[in-house]
Amino acid sequence: MTHPAPVGTPAPLLEVRDIVKQFGGVTALGGVSLDLLPGEVLCLAGENGCGKSTLIKIISGAEKPDSGTILVDGQPFTSMNTTDAIKSGIQVIYQDFSLFPNLTVAENVVLTSAIASRRKLYDRRTARPAAQAIIDDLGLTLDVDARVENLSVADKQLTAICRALVDDARVIIMDEPTTALTRTEVGRLFVIVERLRARGVGLIFVSHKLDEVLTISQRVAILRSGKNVVTSPASELDMRSIAEHMTGKVLDESRHVAAIDPESPAVLEVEHMDLPGAYHDVSFTVRRGEIVGVTGLLGSGRTEIAESLFGVLPPQSGTVKVDGKPVRLRSIGDAIAAGIGYVPEDRLTQGLFLEKSIADNMIAASMDGHRARLGTLDKNAVRETIQRLFARLRVKAPNVQAPVRSLSGGNAQRVVLAKWLARRPKVLMLNGPTVGVDVGSKSEILDILRAEAADGMGILVISDDAPELVACCHRVLVVRHGRVVDVLEGDDVDVDNIRKKVAA
Amino acid sequence: MSAGRSGLAERLRRLRGPNNEGVLALILLVLIVGMSIANPVFFTLPTAFSIMRSAIVPLIFALGVLLVIISGGIDVSFAAIAVFAAYTTVRVYGSGAIDLGLIGAFAMALVIGGMLGAINGFLIARFRLPTLIVTLGTQGIFKGVLLTYVGSRYIADLPSAMSWVSTTNLIEVTTDTGRAYLHVMVVPAIVLTLVLAWVLRRTMFGRSIYAIGGDAEAARRAGIRVVRTQVWLYVIVGMMAAIGGMIYMIMGRSASPQELVGGELDIIAAVVLGGASIFGGRGSVLGTVLGVFLVQVINNSLILAGVPSAWQRAAVGVLLLVGVGIQAVTARGSGRAALVHDAQEVTV
Amino acid sequence: MNAVQEKNPLKRVNAEVDSRWTGLVERLHVDRSARRMLLLVVVAFAIFAALKPSVFLSGINLQNIAISSPEIGVIAIAMMLAMLTGGIDLSLVSIANLSAITMSTMFTAIAANNPDQAEQLFPLIVLVGLVVGLLGGAVNGLLVSRLGITPILATLGTMQIYNGIAVAWTGGKTLYGSPAALTSIGQSTVGGVPTLFVLFVVVAVLVGIIVKRTPLGLKVTLQGANPTAARYSGINSRAVLMSTYLLTGTLGGIAGVLFLARNPTASADYGASYVLLVIVIAVLGGTNPNGGFATVFGVVLATLTLQIVSSGFTALRLSAFQYSIAQGVILIAVMVIDQVQWRRRPRARRAAAVSS
Repeated sequence: MTHPAPVGTPAPLLEVRDIVKQFGGVTALGGVSLDLLPGEVLCLAGENGCGKSTLIKIISGAEKPDSGTILVDGQPFTSMNTTDAIKSGIQVIYQDFSLFPNLTVAENVVLTSAIASRRKLYDRRTARPAAQAIIDDLGLTLDVDARVENLSVADKQLTAICRALVDDARVIIMDEPTTALTRTEVGRLFVIVERLRARGVGLIFVSHKLDEVLTISQRVAILRSGKNVVTSPASELDMRSIAEHMTGKVLDESRHVAAIDPESPAVLEVEHMDLPGAYHDVSFTVRRGEIVGVTGLLGSGRTEIAESLFGVLPPQSGTVKVDGKPVRLRSIGDAIAAGIGYVPEDRLTQGLFLEKSIADNMIAASMDGHRARLGTLDKNAVRETIQRLFARLRVKAPNVQAPVRSLSGGNAQRVVLAKWLARRPKVLMLNGPTVGVDVGSKSEILDILRAEAADGMGILVISDDAPELVACCHRVLVVRHGRVVDVLEGDDVDVDNIRKKVAA
Repeated sequence: MSAGRSGLAERLRRLRGPNNEGVLALILLVLIVGMSIANPVFFTLPTAFSIMRSAIVPLIFALGVLLVIISGGIDVSFAAIAVFAAYTTVRVYGSGAIDLGLIGAFAMALVIGGMLGAINGFLIARFRLPTLIVTLGTQGIFKGVLLTYVGSRYIADLPSAMSWVSTTNLIEVTTDTGRAYLHVMVVPAIVLTLVLAWVLRRTMFGRSIYAIGGDAEAARRAGIRVVRTQVWLYVIVGMMAAIGGMIYMIMGRSASPQELVGGELDIIAAVVLGGASIFGGRGSVLGTVLGVFLVQVINNSLILAGVPSAWQRAAVGVLLLVGVGIQAVTARGSGRAALVHDAQEVTV
Repeated sequence: MNAVQEKNPLKRVNAEVDSRWTGLVERLHVDRSARRMLLLVVVAFAIFAALKPSVFLSGINLQNIAISSPEIGVIAIAMMLAMLTGGIDLSLVSIANLSAITMSTMFTAIAANNPDQAEQLFPLIVLVGLVVGLLGGAVNGLLVSRLGITPILATLGTMQIYNGIAVAWTGGKTLYGSPAALTSIGQSTVGGVPTLFVLFVVVAVLVGIIVKRTPLGLKVTLQGANPTAARYSGINSRAVLMSTYLLTGTLGGIAGVLFLARNPTASADYGASYVLLVIVIAVLGGTNPNGGFATVFGVVLATLTLQIVSSGFTALRLSAFQYSIAQGVILIAVMVIDQVQWRRRPRARRAAAVSS
């Protein structure tokens, strides 16, 4: 706005020069450089642990670099604190939004700028109109008096965006902005991003969803092991080449599906399962050895179906049979007793005990199965189970006593898997099995699923990652508005087909 | 029709208040009306004044505890600070070393209380330690230092700079039920209440405390100087405790280093009853005032109803459990409703 | 795969030794805080033994430490259990007093008619004391697990209620009267060690086995480490919390028996300072107040440390108030050191994550 972009190459808003950052002798960033032009969306991509989050923390002033400079409008900083960064017009919208759940939308929107300007008094009467002005300016509908804890995820994100704009932000960094949004909400977000671009704001998107990276951004910068591997216009990249730059490997995402014995019996039969407000009249079967995908938009009911089968949201009506026997699913305990296991989508809070050891995590669901006489734990049996799974799933850790917090996303997910494999469930459901998992671990996890299915387990994969479903599923159920509207089988299971059916 | 109903619901929600202050006020009102019908002695000026008098010190302590609870902590050292600051001041004045009048005495207690609070704040903010554990430790230290190095003697007469206030009343009224006195120390209590309400609602410091209690990490990211805010917070709490201690000793016309400590949990109970969330981020001055008065009125009612005073403690315990239990059960109910509501919103 | 079932005997022995060794190493690894406590006990003991050997090392003093530790130690272990689930139990001392008062009243009532019968009914009286503890724990358990009230508030409420009942029951007076058998147990020794201390060790070992070696113990630990993940792992949090508070209540009842065995008196305000003292001990013993981490061994050592410091202070003619200062300083120092070490650690961990 204040800086009309000159013709030709405009001056960059933000330049990052040779940033080096080490943690305890290990290099997190080994001389990373990038620049951001006004009115562009730059996507920062890379596997977990490549240094993306460290770089963002340095730009936002939360961490200090060991060397290197940051230039904002050509003005150099060797390091900043959070307030400096905000004053220079740099705003970060974290994946968790960092909002205050107990305060209203208006307060959340104005508080940061009031702090940055070192104000002493809080004026409620000017706060509301100020927040309202920003909301109107972006053409949004948000209730300024609502408490943030009562908002939907999408509205929370919009609140965070409004907050970023209060201080005339020129650079907005968004960390995994689309993870928790439905497709329509992502569409709405992209419209707002376009409006911001038109004002000359520069945006950095940190995302692992490769297709979105290509839709929204003008340029893509890819980090690998703390180094800037490539920065190039989005038009010159495709999903495959981005993935290859991220991993440094040529990827195999082709379909590997073992044939199932036609005689193979059904292990899970769901008939007319119904939960008003979540899904309606859901029926399907999973046979022994079969991997069935369940896909649909976020909010379509796919997660609710899985949570019902796991007893989290007990279904209101319908029957569920495991190995031909009807089961009641009133609680998680019922589901587990029936032989159903569930790898939840929110791994960090629902799946793992982060501070506890790998061993404790692996045994967490099967303690009662490892009883010795007198009801104590059979130590030898426990150790045997843990060592077997640790070796089989190839968890990369010094030993089984290492805390799970020290593991990467892929290894942490293997630990969650191991927790269920220790119980040998008849049916294993996985919700977003490779979300936040680096591309290398992803194919190994899919291999583990294929092997378990070959051993006779029935597997249900709930996912919105079409290539992943194509890679491992025999059949894919498409859920729309709470109903199973399509079942793709055989050659019909392909990426374009799934995307078309999901969005229809 | 539906608009009218939602308007009514909206009005009811407003009346209920963000922390159930409305519900609390209603209970208090019902209790007062009920007691007045059951026992006419209750609804008299002397009773009202005596309840107000007995609420002064708990209220001041409760306001300090409220601040800490909003910020997401819990403080069990305030009583030790109160008695430390007040007793030390009395000792110094009693020794004749200094005499700067009543104002000077309060100023001295404030400085001592502020310094002790700063120790809490430093340990909590600098090392990010659990507040309960730190204040548990400092409580022992403050009490031990007081009794070892300052004195352990009961002082029956306050120095003249303070004792003259002990018998000063703000209002003296003669009614047909007897003479009613309102102690002058209600004035600092009321002033403190109003100032704190203003600080919490209208200053950035106050809003920062709510923000820290809501999400400390988000507060840090938003540029709030969490360490500094927390240290100041505990300094202020220490000063409020000191005022409470001074008023306690002035109104009791004596000073003993063994008093107050041990009653911390009763004060915390009143604050929680007043709608403050033990998890931080939630609570109001109005709710705390109501909570403190509810406890005082119940104690008073029990005495008038002839219930042995031994049962008062148990009554406050029951009240606390009922209050928190209702909160817990309704929170669970609304959580479930929100889930179904969300699901419907998407499928429509 | 099954190393233990290997046919070759030599290999089998090797495998056995191997697994024992890793087991030992693992244990040493896990009990870092317990090792530190062991050091602290030795240091505390050495300091007072050096400063005032004549008094501190006397048989009477050591006997005193051994007699005064058990009641505090048992309550501290109960506190540790509650903290292991991420909760706290402020009502323990009130439960113990209520249990002691019940036993004393019951004994006096029966003895008024038939003193011999009252002595004979000694086991029943103790059982009733334990049942009082169990009931107190059951109320806490219901409030926490069924109604979902935060433990600190639930037990704050029940603490007031149990204490109120005790005050109203006794009229605030101290009750005298206890079975002679109980008193003689309190004064007896087993091989020179006071029986009370032996009982304490037995209780500690039993709770230690429950925590480390049973599914329930691991469930309690995991529940405290992450309640949501515990739920998604099929751990029934209601049952786990209920069991925990039943256990803490019963331990409170045991503490009541110990109270009465040590002194044949019971009152509502006995051990008022214990409420906060046992939190100090639990935290000092390596219990994480946020849940998920605790060892019984550490808590036992912390109990001994504080009792050694207490009696050492007495030996040095320091006052109870100075002991209170020492308690606070030790607690805060340990927390600060822990925190400084912990903050250094994630850096190394983060580095490990980056390198992998």
